[in-house]
Amino acid sequence: MTVTEIITTMLLLASLPFFLAGTLGLLRFPDLYCRLHALTKADNLGLGLVVLALIFQADNVQQIIRLLLTWLLVLIAGATVAHLIARKARGDGHKHWSRQ
Amino acid sequence: MAAQTNLWSRFTLRLGGCLFLWWVLTGGNTLTSWIIGVPTIALALWVMQSVPQSENQQLSLPGLLRFIPYFLLQSVRGGIDVARRAYSPSLPLNPDVIDFPLSLPPGRPRIFFLNSVSLLPGTLSAELCDTILKVHVLDRDIDPGLNQLQTHVARLFKHPSGGNR
Amino acid sequence: MTGLYLALALILLLTICVGMVRVLRGPTATDRMLAAQLFGTTAVAILLLLGQATENTAIWDVALIFALLTAIAAATFVRRRDIDKTTETEDQNDRH
Repeated sequence: MTVTEIITTMLLLASLPFFLAGTLGLLRFPDLYCRLHALTKADNLGLGLVVLALIFQADNVQQIIRLLLTWLLVLIAGATVAHLIARKARGDGHKHWSRQ
Repeated sequence: MAAQTNLWSRFTLRLGGCLFLWWVLTGGNTLTSWIIGVPTIALALWVMQSVPQSENQQLSLPGLLRFIPYFLLQSVRGGIDVARRAYSPSLPLNPDVIDFPLSLPPGRPRIFFLNSVSLLPGTLSAELCDTILKVHVLDRDIDPGLNQLQTHVARLFKHPSGGNR
Repeated sequence: MTGLYLALALILLLTICVGMVRVLRGPTATDRMLAAQLFGTTAVAILLLLGQATENTAIWDVALIFALLTAIAAATFVRRRDIDKTTETEDQNDRH
């Protein structure tokens, strides 16, 4: 195994807990807003680590830029989707859960 | 005259961006891809031209160079924070919706801020009411540090509230 | 390395399946819209990994399209709020 392969393996393994946390948050968190937090932030970090892992295996500069652009697009799309869903939920009168 | 050069520099920037993007997406080594690429880029430029223009706001390069590491660090912190809460058996959540008064001008700076808030630790931009941003926070006892983000964004868009530092 | 890419992609697919069960239970259409966020990130990661495993980076373009479509899907969804509002209140009445 080469050094880059070891780095890629470690980054991929590091991304897994975040994807799992996103799904776990989706299952465990009490309301829509908290679930949005979990999906948006944990999954984006997971994807960032996957992108970083694949960059170490890229054959040329174009592939690196493509991976980074994909991540950037997902970041922008994720933030936009999160805001749109939260705004719609508030417009529909979803009350946020709070600890009593 | 000044408006004319402005238009041209904008056009050159867009053309360069499109050419670069096509080169990246096609892998760059196939000459034949440009048979489709050139008409596509022409079409894209025409579409961009017909969309209503916002006033030309230039980004500050030092502002961007300071924003990127700040943003990356904060999004890593955000991911770790929310993952910790999801794994913890006691589910440590204390959510609330707080009001945050915006000092950023409407348009791109405000939208940029809105989107960045959702990727920061424990905050989610829920609703924009005029100049008040309603932010959903995971833990009401933790200061979400939105002022710092607002300063960063102001600096990025060369807005006076960002200071000159 | 190919084995690792495929294994991780498979695990991610599993998390999507588990997440989808939760998302589809709703109860409101807005709750279900979380699927867009789930697909927007996890499915993109799966596609990137598959592209790397098969050494066919055309799959990466699919990932790019996925990311774009989730934003469009969410925008379309909130635009038709008036139509949804009636079905949503029915949904909520069913639950309570």
